[in-house]
Amino acid sequence: MEKEPIDKILDLAEDLRWKIGDDFHDKLTEGIYADASEIVSNVTRSENSGGRSRLDTRIDRIVTSKTWGFPIMFFILAIVLWITIVGANYPSSLLSDLFLNTIRPFLKDMAVQINMPWWLSGFLIDGVYMAVAWVIAVMLPPMAIFFPLFTLLEDFGYLPRVAFNLDYLFKKSGAHGKQALTMSMGFGCNAAGVVATRIIDSPRERLIAIITNNFSLCNGRWPTQILIATIFLGAVVPQYLSGVVAVSAVIGIAVLGIAFMFFSSWLLSKTVLKGEVSTFNLELPPYRPPRFWKTIYTSIVDRTLIVLWRAVIFAAPAGAAIWLISNIDVGGQSIAGWLTEMFNPLGFLIGLNGVILLAYIVAIPANEIVIPTILMLTVMITGVAAGEGAGVMFELDSANETVEILRAGGWTLLTAVNLMLFSLLHNPCSTTIYTIYKETKSVKWTSIATLLPLILGFVVTFLVAQIWRIFTG
Amino acid sequence: MNYNPVTALAIFGIVSFLLFLIFRPEKGWLWKWKKTSKSGGKTLTEDILKQMYHLEDSGKTADIHILRDALKVNEGKLVYILSRMAAKDLLHIERDRLILTKSGKEYALSIIRTHRLWEKYLAERTGYDQREWHKQAEKMEHLLSKEETEKLAEKLGNPIYDPHGDPIPSPKGKTAEFKGIPLSRLSKGTKGRIIHLEDEPYHIYEQILKRNITIDSLIKVEENDKNRIVFYSEGEYFTLSPAVAENITVSVIKDEDFKDPGYFRLSRLKEKERARVVSISKEMRGESRRRLLDLGFVKGTPIKVDLKSPMGNTKAYLVKGTSIALREDQASKILVKKEKV
Repeated sequence: MEKEPIDKILDLAEDLRWKIGDDFHDKLTEGIYADASEIVSNVTRSENSGGRSRLDTRIDRIVTSKTWGFPIMFFILAIVLWITIVGANYPSSLLSDLFLNTIRPFLKDMAVQINMPWWLSGFLIDGVYMAVAWVIAVMLPPMAIFFPLFTLLEDFGYLPRVAFNLDYLFKKSGAHGKQALTMSMGFGCNAAGVVATRIIDSPRERLIAIITNNFSLCNGRWPTQILIATIFLGAVVPQYLSGVVAVSAVIGIAVLGIAFMFFSSWLLSKTVLKGEVSTFNLELPPYRPPRFWKTIYTSIVDRTLIVLWRAVIFAAPAGAAIWLISNIDVGGQSIAGWLTEMFNPLGFLIGLNGVILLAYIVAIPANEIVIPTILMLTVMITGVAAGEGAGVMFELDSANETVEILRAGGWTLLTAVNLMLFSLLHNPCSTTIYTIYKETKSVKWTSIATLLPLILGFVVTFLVAQIWRIFTG
Repeated sequence: MNYNPVTALAIFGIVSFLLFLIFRPEKGWLWKWKKTSKSGGKTLTEDILKQMYHLEDSGKTADIHILRDALKVNEGKLVYILSRMAAKDLLHIERDRLILTKSGKEYALSIIRTHRLWEKYLAERTGYDQREWHKQAEKMEHLLSKEETEKLAEKLGNPIYDPHGDPIPSPKGKTAEFKGIPLSRLSKGTKGRIIHLEDEPYHIYEQILKRNITIDSLIKVEENDKNRIVFYSEGEYFTLSPAVAENITVSVIKDEDFKDPGYFRLSRLKEKERARVVSISKEMRGESRRRLLDLGFVKGTPIKVDLKSPMGNTKAYLVKGTSIALREDQASKILVKKEKV
């Protein structure tokens, strides 16, 4: 008996719910928003109500115009990269002189004086210390130049305009215009580029930007590209052309990276990421004079030092590993020797060699130490007289000597080309991988970000090697 | 090393082709195998129930041939499943006519409820494109349990309509009244509101989407003969073939409710024109909708074009003193009214 009235009320409630309709909530929310904005406009007064300053509008007309928008953009990017690469040379060599030629002998002497066994001093000084010192010497200067420049542009308000100009291209590949910024940031450092994706508030597009950031050729890889392009590609053409060829090869690789970035953005947005929420909007803030010192401070502390610290943390064990595999002998050969032999067939198949693959595995903390590791391993395995012994990374000032060592290691033009390709297309460095995990908190996306470029790298170098061999017989 | 690069390339080609066959979206062997391996009789039973319910709802009766053609299964299997369904009292068979029993109807409605709720979920809470909703819901309707469905409904705020405008049956099997008329049957001069866009068959739905026809838009029929239907909506004229218009349902409204005249889509706002926001289309859902409201796209806000991207499509609009860039498909889902100068 009791139940009947309750049932009636429930039925009535349901009936009424149908009658109110579905958009009741939306209407209510919008009503609240509209009322709120009306109240605000009634009780507040602002100086430039509803408009933007004349100057802002004028600057915007130029930097987003059809004629000037793109030239200005490329010009600024080129300038920033040029200042970074050229400007970093001097402090880098200063630092490496200090770390490698002053402090290292001093440490070695100390080790001898306190009768440290050779293996301990080798492990600590040649392994751990060398890797850390190397990473700091080559990473710190470019980052300390690039990040402040970039942050100044950001602070001024120019970067959102770049995103606005390029949005159409990124939309086509399912990404957000702001990815143009995180991509450019990636030219400095991929880990910093990944952190920078926080400016993209749409979840799907942010993941795309994170996963594809590695296709931006970072500071750690520019020197590798420039070195290999100069000593191998520049050498096959007449002298007067060699500079041009080397530079265009490096730029070609960077552009190829951008192409891969668009391609994989598109692929990701059509497959694994299509279910993620996507909301686009882009605010174009007013221009303002950058706060110079504050910018310098925050970009050095927040970006440079954090990234550097992470790299150092990973470099120390890698240095130890590099030294150990070169110095521990098993069955008459060092571990590095065995590993190189093991990787040789795969390396050959993709136009590289075992040494290169091994170097990419042990030098995962930083792309900067790939070339020194390759040189060290090559010398150790071929027995060429150079360097400072097993497990001690080195680089040579003379291009000719470098070429000779590499040629002794079996390098050809194909190896050089494929190394450039593989340097672009391989897993991100451990610092970046760790940063991706920190940002996404997801093993799945971290693995995709790690494996996708690596698989692409294997496929591309494999195809290049086969076609090359077919044509050169 | 002794090997032939051509062989290597050939092996690579074969392996990638195989991987493509296995993993390619939708048609890959892996997905097909997954589909057949676990479906058993349940999926087919439920598809039959749904099909029969739709047929009965539109005043037709089901028979084996209609079902066979609609579901694309072989007749032997169909007969077997039908007899099992009859034994479970889901339907009874009168000569060659198939009729749903009360429990069969309830079952069918619960499947439809799950389907439409899932579409609503995809529309509101995920980024899946509208072209994906139906396909995904077709899978999920067989997988969700009753409890899961109710939990989902609660999370979504017990919605009444799915994103296409179809009513979602209540847990008790009640459906909202649906008093629309297909656009193809409206005569010239009729005014109305689009309340439903049919998502099946897909090739027609695709055309509706391509024309950017949105639910909840006010329309006025300008022309209707057996070749084409022209209607005015939100500042534009749309021309459709009768077959497409058949799949758009309109609820007729009185002249005085058709207050539209000057409303048009923000995407059509020209430079130097001033306008005020009227509303955000229902097609702008979930997170994107809230974001627009947050940015100040609310009723009555003055708005004008600030900048055009050099590559087109994206434009920056000046809203409350801030320049905000939107893409064309977003701007087409905001209605504005021109400000008199």
